[in-house]
Amino acid sequence: MATREAGKKMIMLKSPDGMEFEVEEAVAMESQTIRKMIEDDCADTAILIPNINSKILSRVIEYCNKHVPTTGATGAAASDTVAPAALAEDLKIWDAEFIKVNRATRFNLIQAASYLNIKGLLDLTSQTTIDTISDNSLEEIRSFLSTKNDYLPEEEQTIRRENQWAFQ
Amino acid sequence: MADAADLLPGLPDDIAIWEILIRLPPKPLLRCRAVSPAWRRATSSRDFLLSHHARQPALHLLESHSDDDDGDAPLSLKIVTFDHRAAAAGGRLQPVARLKMPPSDAHPSATPRMYLAASRDGLLLLLYHFHSESFDLCICNPATRQYAPLHQLKGFIPMGMYPHPSSTGGDYRLLLCLPAEDAAFVFTLGSAHPPRHIGCLPDPLLLEDADGLLFQGSIYWYTDVAILVFDTTNESFRRIRAPVGAPPASHDARVFIMGDMLALFGPNDQGTAIDTWVMPNRQEEVWDFKCRVKLPVAETRQQCRCSEHEQVVMVVPGDDGGLLILISCDPWLFQVDTDGNLIASFHPRGITATHSVLKKTLVQHTFFPTLEGYVVNAPPFI
Repeated sequence: MATREAGKKMIMLKSPDGMEFEVEEAVAMESQTIRKMIEDDCADTAILIPNINSKILSRVIEYCNKHVPTTGATGAAASDTVAPAALAEDLKIWDAEFIKVNRATRFNLIQAASYLNIKGLLDLTSQTTIDTISDNSLEEIRSFLSTKNDYLPEEEQTIRRENQWAFQ
Repeated sequence: MADAADLLPGLPDDIAIWEILIRLPPKPLLRCRAVSPAWRRATSSRDFLLSHHARQPALHLLESHSDDDDGDAPLSLKIVTFDHRAAAAGGRLQPVARLKMPPSDAHPSATPRMYLAASRDGLLLLLYHFHSESFDLCICNPATRQYAPLHQLKGFIPMGMYPHPSSTGGDYRLLLCLPAEDAAFVFTLGSAHPPRHIGCLPDPLLLEDADGLLFQGSIYWYTDVAILVFDTTNESFRRIRAPVGAPPASHDARVFIMGDMLALFGPNDQGTAIDTWVMPNRQEEVWDFKCRVKLPVAETRQQCRCSEHEQVVMVVPGDDGGLLILISCDPWLFQVDTDGNLIASFHPRGITATHSVLKKTLVQHTFFPTLEGYVVNAPPFI
C-alpha cells in the first residue's frame, strides 16, 4: 500500500478511461461504497470505479477532499482555529460554486454520487433538479425535460382533477 | 412503444426515480404525475410511495380553532406543522389542512368542533361532537386529502392508532375505550365488524389527552402512578414504573422516543427547566437520568407575560438524535435548543401545540374506499 506521509494511508482509484487517482483513505471513505470495499478487505490494489470517467471522478474526489471531516490527525489545525459555524458557512459557499456546472455534468455527478454512495454529494447534486420540478409549471418541467405532453387532453384533466389541491 | 424516453433525459430511470423523484415533497410529487404517463407510473407504485413516506420528516403538529381572517369559519380545525429545519423562522409553521364539519341533518344549526385525537404514519384520527355527549370519530390523510367518517365508532374514545402488528398489507387498528364501562376495544379500520372487546381498562386514564406513544409494537402512556403499556400483538395492558423523581403526568410530563430508546420528560416544580430520563434496556426497565435543560424563562415570560402554569412544554426528537423543545404559551410559541437557548419566537395566534408528529404519506390505504362516506378533496376539507 502506498503511503505519502506517516499515518496517512493512500488509496489508488482508477477510472475506466485509464486515469489513476491517489487519494487519502479517509477521503476515499467519504464514499460508503469504497468504505465497504476497504472494510471488507477488497481494496488491496487499485480500485476500479466503473462507469465514472476521469473528469467526473476528479470532481468527486475534489468534493470528498473538501468534505472529509477535519478532526483528528488529518486536519487538526483547521478545526482548532475555525469555529464550526464558520466552517459550515464556508462549505456552503464552496458547494454553491462546485455545483455551477451544466446539466450533463450534474447528471453525471448524480450517477457517480449514487454509485459511490456519497450522501452529501447526492443531496447537493439532486437539489437543483428537485427545485426545478418543485418550483415550475408542468409546461416548464416538460420543456426542461425536452419531452412533449403525451397525455390526451381528457387524461390530463383527470389527473389534474385527482390531484387538484396540488395545483392550488 | 411510444414512451421509451428516460424520465429525466440523461439519467437512468432507476436513479431518476430513487434519487430524484423520491426526494420531492408530497405536493410537487402529486403535481408531477401530470407531466407524463411515465412519470405518473413511476410515482404511483406502492414500493415507491412507502419509501417516499419513510423519507418524510416527522413534523411536530399544532392545531388551531381560531377565527382566522375570513371570520365565517370559526369552528374550522386548522392543522399546522412545525418544521424546525426550515432556514427562515417564518417558514417553520406550515399549514397542512383545514377541516370544517358541515351541519348534519340531525343537527342542522350546529357546527361541531374537531380535535386531533391521534396521528400515525401520515393518518390523522379526528374527534368531533355535536350537542350530544357522545363523540364521533373520523380519519383523514391531509397529504392526499382523503377523508372518511367512522360512524360505527360513535361514543368510543380513541386511545391510540397503530399498524396491525402482523400484517404487511397496511392495515391499521384503533385502541378504543368506553370509560363508563371501564372497557377497552380494538377496531380494524375498514372492518365490517364492530369494535372487539379485549378487556378492562387498567387505569383511569387522563382521557382528554389519551393519544399514546407507539414504540416498538407497544403503546405507552404516562399516568400519575406509572407508565401504562399496551402490547399491540397480544392486546394486553401492563404497567412499568416511572423514573424516580419524575414529576407527575398532571404536570405535563410525557413519554417520548429519544433515538431508539423510550424516554420521559417533565418540567421541574418552578417550570424553569425540564428533566429527561431514558430507558436504555427495555427488558431491564431501568431508567437513567439523561439531562436537565434550563428553559430561557426570563426571556419567554417577559415576552408573553405569563406564569409557568400557562406554558406547555413539548419535547420531540429532532435531527441526529437531538431534541426539539417547543414552549407553547398562547399566543406565543418558542423554539428552544437542548442548551436552553431561545432559537426563535412565533406569534401564531390561537395555535395550540399537540404532542403528536406528522410524517406525511401518499400511500394508498385500502381501508379508505371501503368506508361509508369516503371522500377525496371535498368537505370537510376546506
